[in-house]
Amino acid sequence: MKMVVGGAYEGKTDYARWQFGLSEGDIADGLECTQRELLNCKCVKHAEELVRRTLKRGGDPMQLAENMIRFNPDMIVIANEVGCGIVPVNSEERAFREAAGRFCTRLASFSDEVHRVVYGQGMIIKKEQRT
Amino acid sequence: MIHLITGGAASGKSEYAESQVLASGCKNRLYVATMSAGTDPENLERIRKHRERRKDMGFKTIECSLMLSDITVPEDCAVLLEDLPNLLANEMYLPNGIGIHALGRIMQGIQYLDQASDELYIVTDDVFADSCSYEGGTKLYMQLLGLISQNLTSLAESVTEVVYGIPVKIK
Repeated sequence: MKMVVGGAYEGKTDYARWQFGLSEGDIADGLECTQRELLNCKCVKHAEELVRRTLKRGGDPMQLAENMIRFNPDMIVIANEVGCGIVPVNSEERAFREAAGRFCTRLASFSDEVHRVVYGQGMIIKKEQRT
Repeated sequence: MIHLITGGAASGKSEYAESQVLASGCKNRLYVATMSAGTDPENLERIRKHRERRKDMGFKTIECSLMLSDITVPEDCAVLLEDLPNLLANEMYLPNGIGIHALGRIMQGIQYLDQASDELYIVTDDVFADSCSYEGGTKLYMQLLGLISQNLTSLAESVTEVVYGIPVKIK
């Protein structure tokens, strides 16, 4: 698994396309993709929205992370960092930030590469040999 | 020596800070908890989780919502202060806090902990990349937190941002 993380509108998806040679059809969208698409795609963007959708239907985002690791371990995951800002007043929004943080931390611990994109520039913050 | 550790919500800052304290080699480990939980179930749950994780790490826990200079620090000690945004909120909003003059008192308290201990790890929070702008009290709070963070960064031996569990060196 590889991850591309960063703030919104930082150019993560373009970076991932270029870095990993992806075409548009390779990239599922966490806002709307089905479970089947998620577990079979080369790449998913808006992974944090998977967390929001899972919470909304009363599911467990950490279970989703384990399923992605088990059934699509070579996928590329693009995620917005959503935990940087003043703690939201709305408790649902707070729960979402926490869950998205834990979800991405789990995927990052499994990933052999994590890229962080700032204004279109990628920085490799983790790279290790697959064991 | 001061080590500042920052990152977003649930990014693994605390776990990283704890691992650094364990790796410091200091004989004593002091955890300074700044959150005054009150009766809020969300805060109580957060505190419970942190305590559960620390229970086998040999920390002594001290609750301190305002006066860091009142803390007794043992010899050969690594201190973990968690966290700075809370400490500032306490000074600004608790009835016995010092209000807008928080900067001086917090810097003084941290200077004391730094000089009394062998290693001081301070957990803070990245609250500055937000989608909306704030006015009034929140704006002042962010300005003060920004000032304290910059002061600490200039004093610190190391500054690390934790991104989803991965430490990224800032200084």
